Amino acid sequence: MMQGSNTYLIRPNHQHKFKPAVVKEYIREIVRDRLSGVRYNPEEVPELCRSLADSIKDKVKNAGLDRYKLVVQVVIGEQRGQGVKMSSRCLWDADTDNYAEDVFMNENMFCVAAVFGSYYY
Amino acid sequence: MDEYQEEETAFAVEEVSKIIKESVESAIGGNAYQHSRVHQWTTTVVEQCLSQLSKLGKPFKYIVTCVIMQKNGAGLQTSSACFWDNTTDGSCAVRWENKSMYCIVSVYGLAI
Repeated sequence: MMQGSNTYLIRPNHQHKFKPAVVKEYIREIVRDRLSGVRYNPEEVPELCRSLADSIKDKVKNAGLDRYKLVVQVVIGEQRGQGVKMSSRCLWDADTDNYAEDVFMNENMFCVAAVFGSYYY
Repeated sequence: MDEYQEEETAFAVEEVSKIIKESVESAIGGNAYQHSRVHQWTTTVVEQCLSQLSKLGKPFKYIVTCVIMQKNGAGLQTSSACFWDNTTDGSCAVRWENKSMYCIVSVYGLAI
């Protein structure tokens, strides 16, 4: 994965830092684009979810965060009046690692996408 | 010697899966879905998982997420895409349910 000679960098410099606001924008664009006007369909949803996660991962990867390991999680659910709660905790280096998330809702479904970036020393 | 080190530092899926199951059972085991308590439940599950994982003492960074959903016939789909090192990093997802709710916990371990 991370090929090349050693750089011995233990912290990212400002340009290469994981910026939550920027990544949140990417997530928002992609999700809004793909899910506007879509109905929850149990047959199509697994494929949709997977491809959404892949698109978000590719977009963030190509945004210049090459020292970061990424985990993208996408949850799509049907809206039928049920209660849902999602929470997460991370054990990492708060100086270098960060996350970004976004929630999208329309009349019959909701979608939560979270991207976690962990710096590879 | 190399082989021993390899086992020590690869992501141990079964161990993590056991930890998750225990944390979920102890946090929400016999309870029915209650909107007012759900926030506290997800926090407890996640924090317990994380503290047990850190006790393992492995050189890993962890990301733990928990989704609790009330059962009412609605569908839910989770998927994740990861950019990491396949030889050292891994993930584990556990699906748990009782009569009134579903709980899905995912743990991602990234080697340092």
